[in-house]
Amino acid sequence: MRSRRYTATTRVVFDMDAIDVVKTNYVKELLLKNTREDLRQFMQFRKTSIVTGTMQNAEGSAQVDMGSTRVLCGIKMTVEEPMRDTPSQGNMMVSAELLPLASPDYETGPPSPDAIELARVVDRGIRAANSIDLKSLFIEEGKVWSVFIDLYVLNYDGNLFDACTLAAMAALMSAKVPAVVEGVANREDRSKPLKIDTVVTSTTFGKIGNSILLDLDRSEEKASEGRITIAIDDANIRAMQKGLRGGFTKEEVEKLMDVAFERRAELKRLLEQSAK
Amino acid sequence: MASENKPELVIDGKRTDGRNFNQMRPFTIKANVIKNAEGSCYVEWGNNKILAAVYGPKEVMPRHMMEPDRAIIKCRYAMAPFSSLSDHGRTGPNRRAIEISKVIREVFENVVMLREYPASEIDIFIEVLQGDGGTRAAGITAAAVALANAGIQMRDLPYAISVGRIGEHIAIDFNMIEDNFSDSDMPMAFAPRNNEILLLQMDGGLDRAQVSKAIQMAIDAGAEISKAQRDALKEVYSNNTSGV
Amino acid sequence: MKQIIVPGEMVSQSQARMDNTYVEGGKTYSKVMGLYDEEHKGIIPLEGPWKPRIDDAVIGIIAEEKNKVYEVDIGFFGRTLLIVGKFDRESYKVGDVIEATIKDVEDRKTIILTMARPLEGGTVLMVKPAKVPRVIGKANTMVRQISEAAKTMIIVGMNGMIWMRGGNVALATAAIKKIEAEAHISGLTERIKLMLEQNNKGN
Repeated sequence: MRSRRYTATTRVVFDMDAIDVVKTNYVKELLLKNTREDLRQFMQFRKTSIVTGTMQNAEGSAQVDMGSTRVLCGIKMTVEEPMRDTPSQGNMMVSAELLPLASPDYETGPPSPDAIELARVVDRGIRAANSIDLKSLFIEEGKVWSVFIDLYVLNYDGNLFDACTLAAMAALMSAKVPAVVEGVANREDRSKPLKIDTVVTSTTFGKIGNSILLDLDRSEEKASEGRITIAIDDANIRAMQKGLRGGFTKEEVEKLMDVAFERRAELKRLLEQSAK
Repeated sequence: MASENKPELVIDGKRTDGRNFNQMRPFTIKANVIKNAEGSCYVEWGNNKILAAVYGPKEVMPRHMMEPDRAIIKCRYAMAPFSSLSDHGRTGPNRRAIEISKVIREVFENVVMLREYPASEIDIFIEVLQGDGGTRAAGITAAAVALANAGIQMRDLPYAISVGRIGEHIAIDFNMIEDNFSDSDMPMAFAPRNNEILLLQMDGGLDRAQVSKAIQMAIDAGAEISKAQRDALKEVYSNNTSGV
Repeated sequence: MKQIIVPGEMVSQSQARMDNTYVEGGKTYSKVMGLYDEEHKGIIPLEGPWKPRIDDAVIGIIAEEKNKVYEVDIGFFGRTLLIVGKFDRESYKVGDVIEATIKDVEDRKTIILTMARPLEGGTVLMVKPAKVPRVIGKANTMVRQISEAAKTMIIVGMNGMIWMRGGNVALATAAIKKIEAEAHISGLTERIKLMLEQNNKGN
């Protein structure tokens, strides 16, 4: 919660603020002793909570708190023309905003490559798993529902990928489709639930030196060289994204896929509870 | 807006949501809600849900904008794409939002003691998560609390409200429908200590007596808003809460 | 009796010379959100950016170096410079943590540091400058209590940066964060004492 001041040199040499240099050294020191700053296990999520339905103007909404990271997802549905190559199904679009109020690291302006990557990775998991039954979004010839999934990051403390996927899923699972009257959306009647066929969960890992951690907070993210997000449904891997410069071995990826499935149950439980 | 489908704004002497003309919508104000920000405030005003946050004083970027003897203020007002009851909106501020950002900035350039923070910048962010008319007023009311929460020195704690005309009635605090179909709308912001007007915008049609009446109605409503702002700040330090 | 006061609230019907207030039309008003102490006629800001004072001890991090003049990050919005003299340590590198004293404040926007010494290892925690006095405690009692219980070296900078090394840093951090969050709730000293005792029992 401090407004940091940085200078040209620290940015160029370390790509981060002076205090982050100190924190990075400290995170690494702790890892050598097998601990994390908040005393979590390496493959443990922070305390996570989900609240749905907070934005009544939206067709669906969910706020996720993962540690101090806070993300709000809003779902809007609009009647539109279908895409030319998929005339009998609806559309989905995911976008993400790293709001400047969420962190002194964020600036006002058009979406950064980080924001765009975030949106596209969340999109990939949900789309590849066929989470939303896009065929159920067909209204009549030339008219389908477009589902807009907007992720608003309200407070940044690491691991936006998992917080955003969770928020998107929770919002979708509690979203209601407006009635259609004479080809136009009537939002006075939103009683029909959006048809969700599969639940997608994601786990994001970071590599710091020789250690791989799950759910990195901001200090840990600053200290990390590599990152990998794995989005799954009950049986299959649906999306993966490796980020940052560092690399992962085949054995590491195999192990992390196992962890993704191990952690799925607790995420699914949170989602199911929030949808009630 | 086209007046063919103009709904009835007055039914049996009451407004669409059952209010009297001099009645504001119910509202709540909560301070200190965004952990990373220096100061923050969340306001629910009618169906509006608005988040304001403050960062700074901090180094000015880009450097050429720096003023050696005072702080500069930057303000961003934007509406979330999921904020409206109608279709999905576009991402990022549009021209309306940019103008609103400017007039809001000018409110705070008046009250913030800029010379206390030379060569620095203070950033104010107002995000409308859900909008239902009067968002710039609720945003200013929230931003003032966020600045106080950040400990920024100000000569006063501004509030804002809008007043307008529906037929021959002067009414306070328009909701979205009233905003769209009324005959005149006038948002205002005040420094409550001496009721100085720090923001004034108006369009439509009002005669001079109506303008005077509208200003007075806004000033009369101010006491309630100011009290809620003060209470929100005091709540942060009550024995019941330990902050974010 | 202390009460919370907000910007623009009147503290005196007449002209009063008081920190954090301004006078207009012969009356005195508050400039900040703070605690108004009627007895001692003063306003203590509850939040706000740190006001650097000469002789304040601070913790900082070397951010840039040019011709033996170092730019130091102390969380201050202006420039903070350390000029290395004959009797100071030879040189620092970017990322080094130092403890230093404020020699001068120019125009409220440039701080000159002196008497710097390096702090090796450890980590830096940031707290709101307004809470620093509570973290230190009367005659250093609070910080000493935490340091002993956690067996951690702790140096608190008036700028809100706190350096810690060794022992149970997680415990020290939790105690300091608790003070920051609950400084206004009476009985804080007892609660911190309890927290530290409980934690040591568990060891």
